[in-house]
Amino acid sequence: MVNREVEKLLLKVQKPGRYVGGELNEVIKDKKDVDLRFAFCFPDTYEVGMSHLGMKILYSLFNSVPYIWCERVFAPWIDMEEEMRRHNIPLYALESGDPISDFDFIGFTLQYELSYSNMLNMLKMGNVPILSSERTELKNIVVAGGPCACNPEPIADFVDIFFIGEGEEVDLEVMEIFRRCRDEGADKPEFLRRCAQVEGVYVPALYEVEYNEDGTIKSFTPKDGAPAVIRKRLMLDMDKSYYPDNFVVPLIEIVHDRAVQEIFRGCIRGCRFCQAGFLYRPVREKSPDTINAQCRALCDNTGYDEVSLSSLSSSDYSRIVPLLEKLTDWTYGEKVSISLPSLRVDGFSDEIMNRIKTVRKSGLTFAPEAGSQRLRDVINKNVRHDELMQTCATAFAGGWTTVKLYFMIGLPTETMDDVADIAHLGQDVVETFYHTPERAKGKSVRVTVSASSFVPKPFTPFQWEPQDTIPVLHEKQRHIKDSIKSKKISFNYHDADTSFLEAVFARGDRKLCRVMQTACERGFHFDGWNDCFDLDKWLEIFEECGIDPAFYANRRRSFDEILPWDHLDYGVKKSFLIKECQKAYENTTTPHCRLQCSQCGAAKYGKGVCFEELKDLVSKVYGVPLYLAP
Amino acid sequence: MECRYISHLDLNRTMLRALHKSKIPIWHTEGFNPHPFATFPLPLSLGFRGVNECMDVKLEDDDYSFEEIITKLNACLPRGIRVFDVTEAVMKAGKIAYASFTVKLSEEKTPSSAICSELEALLSQDEILIEKKSKKGFKTVDIKPAVQSYEISERFDFAQLDIMLSAGSTDNVNPNLLVTALQNKTGAEYEADITRNDLYNAEKEPFR
Repeated sequence: MVNREVEKLLLKVQKPGRYVGGELNEVIKDKKDVDLRFAFCFPDTYEVGMSHLGMKILYSLFNSVPYIWCERVFAPWIDMEEEMRRHNIPLYALESGDPISDFDFIGFTLQYELSYSNMLNMLKMGNVPILSSERTELKNIVVAGGPCACNPEPIADFVDIFFIGEGEEVDLEVMEIFRRCRDEGADKPEFLRRCAQVEGVYVPALYEVEYNEDGTIKSFTPKDGAPAVIRKRLMLDMDKSYYPDNFVVPLIEIVHDRAVQEIFRGCIRGCRFCQAGFLYRPVREKSPDTINAQCRALCDNTGYDEVSLSSLSSSDYSRIVPLLEKLTDWTYGEKVSISLPSLRVDGFSDEIMNRIKTVRKSGLTFAPEAGSQRLRDVINKNVRHDELMQTCATAFAGGWTTVKLYFMIGLPTETMDDVADIAHLGQDVVETFYHTPERAKGKSVRVTVSASSFVPKPFTPFQWEPQDTIPVLHEKQRHIKDSIKSKKISFNYHDADTSFLEAVFARGDRKLCRVMQTACERGFHFDGWNDCFDLDKWLEIFEECGIDPAFYANRRRSFDEILPWDHLDYGVKKSFLIKECQKAYENTTTPHCRLQCSQCGAAKYGKGVCFEELKDLVSKVYGVPLYLAP
Repeated sequence: MECRYISHLDLNRTMLRALHKSKIPIWHTEGFNPHPFATFPLPLSLGFRGVNECMDVKLEDDDYSFEEIITKLNACLPRGIRVFDVTEAVMKAGKIAYASFTVKLSEEKTPSSAICSELEALLSQDEILIEKKSKKGFKTVDIKPAVQSYEISERFDFAQLDIMLSAGSTDNVNPNLLVTALQNKTGAEYEADITRNDLYNAEKEPFR
């Protein structure tokens, strides 16, 4: 609901539908009937934020509690931001149109490091002090969760509470403590102290950090009874876990404009660069019946005619074929299509293809990540060249003619030969097309090779690795370009400058808070967008603050260094990560969770894949996921 | 209110989704990529309120009750869009010749009486020239012939213009062009609140 003042601005900006709310299934409550208001902020545009599943889950969950009203807030695009500033309109929530400073909680989901500047900018636009220490009253409690909360230190000065792990339960517990504190007249420090006792809650203000002369961390000390180690929270029984039967259906087109059904959390694979693969261990699946029922409810309540099965690697869902059978029983008649993103190269079977083929024939996307077999072994991708070619042949025989291949450059131990192999792999896919007799006749093949730059992330076996410098990344990008000979291959790559800044903040410490604060004062926003990002301006700030960004991005850390995130426990043991890192140097792979348990530590939660019965011997011997076969 | 601020494509998508959710047996086109058949005879510009818009939908079942369509569809639409009537399609979309609008104009520093006189002066000109952007760049057009009839009335904090303009696929004039023409003339920047009231055929009968 927007007021007259805002309405006057709407026709002056692009896509005004972003700023009005009023969508189907939006939750409107009476302010008088609720006693806790939560502004759920996504630090990016409406179209990006509305596509995010985590926000949909928590929005519905919070609003299912009668005394809570959770509303949505997105970062206004730069044209709207300018208009709002000029007319002194504070950032408001879409449902009520009330400014975010009216809310008890202001929550952010942190999906990528480059959205930090938007988070601070949104607070600023809402006239909420950005520093936690300057928000002294028991109101406007700033909380944050999501994958980037696994290294909260670069934004520790701004956020009152971080939720570590999955938010479904812990968020509500903290809101309950807030109500009690407010009833009792307790102050904000007391509220924070009480929250710190809840598992999965990290209150950065309750910890002191000391540094060595070389800038590394000397000690990290809790105070006021806060725990020395903060353990993540997670949902153990996915079938009993809350899942919305309803999404807000946007009026304007968003990035992922469809129903999204989560099928499992975590990933069995253990690719060594992948943070999500370690943060969300162990794998916990929903049953086909649960998924089927939830899909149906979602489609019925939203009117979406497409449902996407979401997970980190859909073809690793252990009962994928029975699930697809159940779904296609009704989706065909109701003209609903199913999409299966995040397919692995080795999981694209005929059966799966035939089931989803009735749907639209968009391009296929695979992520071999590295060009050479050696480097794929280093990163534990466990995809072989012949598997990739076999999969492409299957797809070509099924009528597909476009394939997108995703790679990373700058991986540990990478040589220029490995880099050239990215181009060669693209070439092999082109040739596979022409060697597939059943290929679509009269059509040409298009292979897109996409290279992003590797960013070492916390809680991965590569968390100690230096990132390649920007000039080296540029050289590697050029090398791929020069090695591509075919016109059937198009090449694009991710800007190395943004990857550098991402690497700085991904593994940064609290010293970076000053950099963030200055960036906010200077009006930085939308760093994830080429329209706004300017590395030189960031480098100026680093210099003024006397901070060398290369210390965070390009330095090799030793295994015994205290890392800024060492006080957080995501279930995976540091000793396991060290072992995995050493195996990477030896080009040795680690089998996935269903083939063999590698003792990562996640079994301590007592549920999930760690307690599934191991599959039959044949599949173990050959390393082939036979349980997928029809 | 909200639905004024979405584009024609977005409105189309919203209606199709509501139809799908309502499970009203809508006819799908045949062919490689079947899609539900539903069209708007004349798109409504972004920012306009529409109080009597229509949409053509083809059903699979000719006997489906009109009453049921209204109830079912309204249960599936966002609050900014309401279905209030269902009829058989009478005229083809190509028959649309005119559209009537209510334009409310205001400007902080100009009293509404002054805006009324400015409007009157503009509309009584022999020609109203305006630069129109086309695919080949800008060209100057005269929109005066498109003005069928109009009425200007002074309100407390705005000037109201009720106007009928040529509309349809061949000779469409958007009332925003008039607002621009007025702005070009006076140099002021107006707030324009525009509502499309009705569509008509060449005989000025309401479009059905």
